[in-house]
Amino acid sequence: MSDNARRDFLKQVGITTAATVGLSSITAKADEYKSGEVQGVLVDIGVCVGCRNCERACQVAHNLPAGDPEEYHNRDVYKEFRRPSTHSLTVVNEFENPKNKLIPYDVKYQCMHCNHPACVSACIVGAFTKNRNGAVTWDTNKCIGCRYCMVACPFQIPTFEYDKAIQPKIMKCDFCFERTKEGLLPACVANCPVEALTYGNRDELLVLAKKRIARYPDKYIQKVFGEDEVGGTSWLYIAPVDFEKLMFPTLGDKPAPGVTEAIQHGIFSYFIPPLALFGWLGGVMWLSKRKKELTESETKKEEDK
Amino acid sequence: MKRKIIFTSLLIFSLVFIIVYAKVDNNKAREQKKTQASETVTQIGNKTIVPEVPNDKKYGHAMMPVDCKTCHDCEVPTKNNPCLKACPRKEFITIYHLPEEGPTVVSLDEVKGDYGAVAFSHKVHAQMSQMSGGCETCHHYNTTGPVLKCKTCHSTTRQRADISVPDLEAAFHRQCLNCHRQWSHSTDCQSCHVLKGQNIKQVEAEKLKKFKTYSHPPLTEPKKVIFKTNHQGGDYVTFFHTEHTDNFGIACKTCHSNDNCINCHDVTLKAIDQNTPVRKTHKSFQEHHDPCSKCHVQQIENNCSFCHQDQPAEAFNHLKVTGFNLAPFHTNLMCNQCHKQPGNFKNMDKNCTSCHNNFVKGKFDHKRVGIELNETHSDLDCSDCHKNNRFDKSPDCSDCHDGYAYPKQIPGKKAKR
Repeated sequence: MSDNARRDFLKQVGITTAATVGLSSITAKADEYKSGEVQGVLVDIGVCVGCRNCERACQVAHNLPAGDPEEYHNRDVYKEFRRPSTHSLTVVNEFENPKNKLIPYDVKYQCMHCNHPACVSACIVGAFTKNRNGAVTWDTNKCIGCRYCMVACPFQIPTFEYDKAIQPKIMKCDFCFERTKEGLLPACVANCPVEALTYGNRDELLVLAKKRIARYPDKYIQKVFGEDEVGGTSWLYIAPVDFEKLMFPTLGDKPAPGVTEAIQHGIFSYFIPPLALFGWLGGVMWLSKRKKELTESETKKEEDK
Repeated sequence: MKRKIIFTSLLIFSLVFIIVYAKVDNNKAREQKKTQASETVTQIGNKTIVPEVPNDKKYGHAMMPVDCKTCHDCEVPTKNNPCLKACPRKEFITIYHLPEEGPTVVSLDEVKGDYGAVAFSHKVHAQMSQMSGGCETCHHYNTTGPVLKCKTCHSTTRQRADISVPDLEAAFHRQCLNCHRQWSHSTDCQSCHVLKGQNIKQVEAEKLKKFKTYSHPPLTEPKKVIFKTNHQGGDYVTFFHTEHTDNFGIACKTCHSNDNCINCHDVTLKAIDQNTPVRKTHKSFQEHHDPCSKCHVQQIENNCSFCHQDQPAEAFNHLKVTGFNLAPFHTNLMCNQCHKQPGNFKNMDKNCTSCHNNFVKGKFDHKRVGIELNETHSDLDCSDCHKNNRFDKSPDCSDCHDGYAYPKQIPGKKAKR
């Protein structure tokens, strides 16, 4: 009898736990940003000429030391692959075009502003924020410099001021959050001479990207990078060659912080699972105590007999 | 008094001189324009290749070398329902203009930015485009109607509602940089832009002065091109260029529409070594063969040797191969004026009257073949001398004149052809 009761109880606890975890994952989904609000940038690699105006515009907009405009047309920098750094939050790299060596592929790199950013998830002090317009920003004052965001990022974007001994900062593209707030375009978009960067609503950009691919099927490969990668990114790319050849990582369509976040957030959301756990433990304690009492009383009764 | 007379006469003389000179100059310009216009018109039989047509009164705009879908939305546009796309045209007249008709220099100053305006040498660029894409290379939506301003479709501001069309700054830069970065290997701004602070009007005036008299050197064409290929057993492909352009009336852009400026303009290569062949762009098998195979479908199907031969080919000799001499009357004709069935060049009737039905007594001017008939002979029927109306064979005199034979005796006197 008591064995059966315990089994039933365990079953019930199991179901309630599963239900709460399930519920928490549903509530997490409801928390997502409405796609209509998310802004993005479509990068057309078939159009970019590699003038690096964006690099300079970005430096100027973020008060980083910038060089003379004409310096940026020097193409020697393309000899080696570069990643965004604390000096240049966006960089352009060049790749050979096997079809026509005179029109190489130029590719701009910066933070992709993921729909489900791993950096936000990984930050242990909550310095990172995914904003409603899609921008992933961070609060330097909260940052403790643990560099977990750098490890977590699937695109290796956040950089660290290693050259500074005192108060080194994490740096990355902030989607010109301050500019867009004032209704301005991101600095790189505003300064691209060929409009290889198009700023707009992410949903609209997706439609535009697919239209462009359909219009020039010989020019572009049939893919919009960032549509599904790690659950989608604000920045989208279309290109004439496979993205692996342009040093883009091959990523699945699952958000980078998917599994860890589901467990972590599942456990702590609305404090239901902890309550359930402690409730369950309490129940177990109460049950075992009651059982003990029962057995004690029974032995007493027997003794009384 | 004397001085006054001299002065007035000098004045009158100079005035007359100016007027006459201006008129001569004007006439010259008009004539030049005329010859240019007639040069560009290409005649194939009774058909005219459209981009070269200076007006479209005879040829409707449906003959324009543009995909109908560029302007029309539906499958079958009609007059009542032309289903025109919103952008951009309303009036329908021809687009084709001579390069000289357009402006010499255009000031591009609509876009405001870090750099100043661009004084664009329009005429020279238009002249260069003649060989490849023509006006449409840049005026890509100007299929018909007056030349539209770029900003009709391309917004002057980057922040705009319709992001599907690039803004004006991007449209300009895409057009220019696409070529310029290929041959200059640079994206520097100052090769086009005037530095801020510099007076655009002054730069424009300088350019205007320079390009007023300067024209792009005439685009020449080779007589033949011999390609050395890797094809085993048939290294050489000989392409008779002038035959294709003159005899078949093929317009430049039919083959050269995607030609690259660097074919002539790779400045770095020129600086390094004049003899270095122009940097080749990679072409696939299909891209290499398409220019020929698109027309010569039947001839080259499973027959590489139609083009690939072990030595450079001789030009097609009509007399040697067919026995019919094109000289002197048929040299300037296009092939399809006689060979009317496309692709079928064999078994033509060599008899003149198979084409010339006006070769009959009284209508034919015999002087044109070099002999002016005397009175006795001009009254005769053609077949009296030319048996069975075979004009390609020597006439027979022996029917009337014993022992007479052409060309020892001629029925009249020699005349200039």
